[in-house]
Amino acid sequence: MSSSSDEVAADFKDALQDLKLNSRPEISNLTIIAKENTEYAQAISQELENHIRTTRPEWKLPALYVLDSIVKNVGTPYTVYLGRNLYRTFMDAYLVIGESTRKAMEGLLRTWKQPVPDSMDPRPVFPPEVTGDIENALNKFRSAIQSTPAARPLHVLPPRPATNTTWRSTPTPPQNGNRYTAPQDPRARQQFPPTPQYGSYQSPVPGQNTYSTPQPLPSPMSSNDLDDLKAEVGKLISNTQQAFAYNPADTALQTKLNALLQLKKVLDTQTLPPQQLEAVRMQVRNLAPPPTPVPTQTPVPNSSSLPNFVPPVSFQPPMIHSPHQNTNSPFPPPSSAPVNLAQLLANARPPAPPVTAMSPAPPMPAAPAMPNLADFLRAVPPPAQSSSTPAVTPFFPPSFPVRPAVSTPIQTPAISTPAPATAPTANLAELIAQFSKPPTAPPAQPAQIPPPQFTPQIPTGAPTQGNPEWLLNALKGLPFLATPSGSTPLASEPMTRQSSAPTNGVGEIELTTASLKQPRFHLISRLYEAYPNMCSTCGRRFESTPQGKEKKARHMDWHFKVKDPDAAKRGIHRSWYISEKEWLEYREMDETSPDQANNGASGSATAVKKQAQDRYVPVPQDPAEAQVPCPICQEKFKNVWLPEGNEFVWMDALQVGGRIYHATCYEEYSKGAGIAMPSTPDSVLGKRKAEAGTPASGKKARAY
Amino acid sequence: MDIPGLPGLPGLNLGAQAIEALNLPPVPSSRQQDLAANTEYRFEVGFSRSLTIKLVSGTAEYFGTELAPSQSYTFQGTKGAVFTWQGCRLEISGDPESEYVAEETQMMGCLNAHFAFENLRDAAVRSEELGPRVLVVGPENAGKTSLVKTLTAYATKMGRQPIVVNLDPKQGMLSVPGSFTAAAFSSILDVQEGWGTSPISGPSPIPVKMPLVYHYGLKDPEETKLFKPLVTRMALDVTSRLEYDKASKQTGFIIDTPGAISQGKGGVYENIEHIISEFSVNVVITIGSERLYSDLSRKYSSRAGEEAIRVVRLEKSGGCVDRSDDYMQALRQAQIKAYFFGHTAEYALAPHSQAADYDDLNIFRAVDSSTDPNHSDVDAHGIFSNPRSIYEKVTPFPDMVGKLLAITTALATDPEERIRDSNVRGYMWVADVDEVKKRVKVLCPQPGMVVPNALILGSWPESVAGLV
Repeated sequence: MSSSSDEVAADFKDALQDLKLNSRPEISNLTIIAKENTEYAQAISQELENHIRTTRPEWKLPALYVLDSIVKNVGTPYTVYLGRNLYRTFMDAYLVIGESTRKAMEGLLRTWKQPVPDSMDPRPVFPPEVTGDIENALNKFRSAIQSTPAARPLHVLPPRPATNTTWRSTPTPPQNGNRYTAPQDPRARQQFPPTPQYGSYQSPVPGQNTYSTPQPLPSPMSSNDLDDLKAEVGKLISNTQQAFAYNPADTALQTKLNALLQLKKVLDTQTLPPQQLEAVRMQVRNLAPPPTPVPTQTPVPNSSSLPNFVPPVSFQPPMIHSPHQNTNSPFPPPSSAPVNLAQLLANARPPAPPVTAMSPAPPMPAAPAMPNLADFLRAVPPPAQSSSTPAVTPFFPPSFPVRPAVSTPIQTPAISTPAPATAPTANLAELIAQFSKPPTAPPAQPAQIPPPQFTPQIPTGAPTQGNPEWLLNALKGLPFLATPSGSTPLASEPMTRQSSAPTNGVGEIELTTASLKQPRFHLISRLYEAYPNMCSTCGRRFESTPQGKEKKARHMDWHFKVKDPDAAKRGIHRSWYISEKEWLEYREMDETSPDQANNGASGSATAVKKQAQDRYVPVPQDPAEAQVPCPICQEKFKNVWLPEGNEFVWMDALQVGGRIYHATCYEEYSKGAGIAMPSTPDSVLGKRKAEAGTPASGKKARAY
Repeated sequence: MDIPGLPGLPGLNLGAQAIEALNLPPVPSSRQQDLAANTEYRFEVGFSRSLTIKLVSGTAEYFGTELAPSQSYTFQGTKGAVFTWQGCRLEISGDPESEYVAEETQMMGCLNAHFAFENLRDAAVRSEELGPRVLVVGPENAGKTSLVKTLTAYATKMGRQPIVVNLDPKQGMLSVPGSFTAAAFSSILDVQEGWGTSPISGPSPIPVKMPLVYHYGLKDPEETKLFKPLVTRMALDVTSRLEYDKASKQTGFIIDTPGAISQGKGGVYENIEHIISEFSVNVVITIGSERLYSDLSRKYSSRAGEEAIRVVRLEKSGGCVDRSDDYMQALRQAQIKAYFFGHTAEYALAPHSQAADYDDLNIFRAVDSSTDPNHSDVDAHGIFSNPRSIYEKVTPFPDMVGKLLAITTALATDPEERIRDSNVRGYMWVADVDEVKKRVKVLCPQPGMVVPNALILGSWPESVAGLV
């Protein structure tokens, strides 16, 4: 299945790469590809995002038109997939394109806030949370330009009148330059400077941005980072395991090991927001045996790779802040900061060694002078509520009442964004407690730092760093440690993760009359969007995972099989109910589970045997006949439900001359007697037709 | 609750009917209906009329089961509701007796309950214990079956496999009224047929469900002579199945009950208590009765030392309508017809009529407690110690015409408890009793000789006239 997904994605990519103009036929062609391959929506969405991100600036707009066309003409699941990263996709493109193109993009954004034209669906194309984030970022971007008239000539953007009604809802304009980093989506880890491949981006004159190579890619390293952390945890686990092997009686070690194993599970199954990862990392450090030989990255920016990111003297990048400084830490006064794009970006990216220099070691040692991302993010006001809690928190419920926004709750605002208020010493327990925290606080005002409102809910008292107990306790409270049977979450498949990893939105439901009355619209997505792949015949839904696709394929096969135009002619009838014993032993056979009867069709040594055992005949309709045992072994036949034939059969059975034998018995017998085995009937249906003339029907003497 | 009947004389003119059914939707009367999010379209349609609903856009569900887009769903003899969480547009054609769009629904309570159970199921997966054992109680027409159906649909949608137990003789689940059934649901429910269908000898458009069926055969569960032992038996079956069936074990079960047991006598709900203890129920949902909730929560909230039984109350939906006796009777008749003839013309079944001598039929009838002088006690233990009071053997009599005979797995010579506790293989319908020839004509679901098994004649459901 995945190969075909790759194929479709590759096709789509090829077609995208030819798109260099705003060409209607090409765009509709791409839309049609997307529409016909909704089962590969995730891969296609990724390709599209990638393309928009990496293609030359002048080709970005056509690609964005493709995105627009897909979300408007196809809708879900693309709105879900594309909406998730829309902020990044949009803003990254917005920052590097020319003014006229920006206008076009703003036009696009406006339409996304409205329902699809001519659609009865009253919901906007993208949920307001998604477009709101972008809107806020754009507002900030504009007011940045506005509030720094000195810098204006440097900008490609013309000044915008403050009275522009479009922006009247803009909250208090940001007061310092640092906030303008908002266009960098904090949902992405942005600790890396541009990679050397962007060396052409030498000029600090932002005006040239428009035509220069794209802005630094949204860091592809976040997964590396996570991998590092995972590796670290894995190492810690093996170390602890060894220690534990020597010291099996040490309960502290055992606790630690337990905690680490659970942490690993969390890391494997969850995508934690960067700042939480950071805190986790610090905790892991503390858990690690004292001086772990972690190669410390030098915090000095590699100036050769960052020539243009050296900030102006008047501007102090956030890297000067130690993690212990609180959110009110002073930032340079905005008036003195000539804001330009380069600086915005520089601000957004604490300098770190270039990508190529990345060692497997985590790039964020806990050196006090080195800002960690959590700290950094704390200083950066989130563009909107949801920004500080990235994709992992789709089920963080919005504060209610929120009405039809529920239609795509994946993008609902996160809860009160506790992260910015989290002290740098926040431990994992606290971080994790956020997961199970009920949605209480209203969404933070955009461009405002949410007030510190975080209180750990895990009853760990004051957890000691480095003590594994708190970690274990914290993990205990996590509902997502339990993965429903049968669906193993895959980190690469967000939809799975959402469906199988209940987050706090669910954990809070108590079986009390009052709790059951509370509206929780965010749960709806777990019944709908979590299973985006719908059977158009019966409405059954499947996950968008490879397993889900396989299931759906088998399900569709089943639909095809049961379509029998001759059924009525044959005179089908109600079967007898199964007996108590049969019911107790019966296991539901899902039409989506692998078809066992088809297994073993091939094979060498066991093939003959299997053939005999795979033979079956329908259970005789005459109850008396159904009691007749095999004439050879005198054992009774066992009724088995055959899902594809939709009837009861006797497996390993064979009808010869009106009598039913065990196929294996008959085989033994016929070998001895030198009789050829009758050929296996092709199907139950064929069998049933053949049976019409057998003496079985003659016994219905009393029928009238 | 929504088993429309099959009109006419099935079996003979199936082809003609199928054509009629295809031509049925009157094109001119079709109209579009937009539903805002969290509203539902409620409709009542008679048994002789039909209503066809098609989902044009958005998402919609019918008691938890999602409607497939652009598929036509035809309802007959149904009081139902199409609900939407996200807004939708429906195309409706046909002739409903009443219809309106309701903005206030109780679906949120249902959704919350489902996800509360999901939490318990997750916990059950972790601990390898039993999932939630849910009992739904409430007065008649409070929406119990609708709730059970929605909870079941949501659970299957999320890949669970709940077992549903129906203890309400007034309407059948996957079988005829008067039966008690239990079945595990692993695939979607049938929107048109309510629950789906038990196995038939041919293909079925929706995966079949495999019910275990017992015959109760009485209208009122308060005639405890049979109710309690059958509950006990069913509980034994279900709990044994759960022991080995992992998927169902983790999901747990949901029990639907008759409204009568929720009336109670002086605040004592003998049958509810019996069900709770036999099934080890740990969640009781009361619906539509404050008093029942108060009585039950008082009783079960303070049980020290035992596993907590949580009693919660859900609101009765405004869409619950009182279903008249006439409607219920028509519904039961439709269910019985559907047993023999199938639910839709497209998948019509062909039952067989046959004749049997009086002597071939071993018919037992439950002894009516009111006419039984020996029976003075409704205690279940009394039954076990006084087995002669369960059944009496009867020879066919003319009033039997139109009644159902349950074909048990027990032999006529088996002890009465055995007959009572044996499950049902199927039903026969008495078409005619010829007292002169001493022959009985019966309608069987499939061809074959009349079996020597014990047949149970119940006083319930009512006689159905003119099946053939």
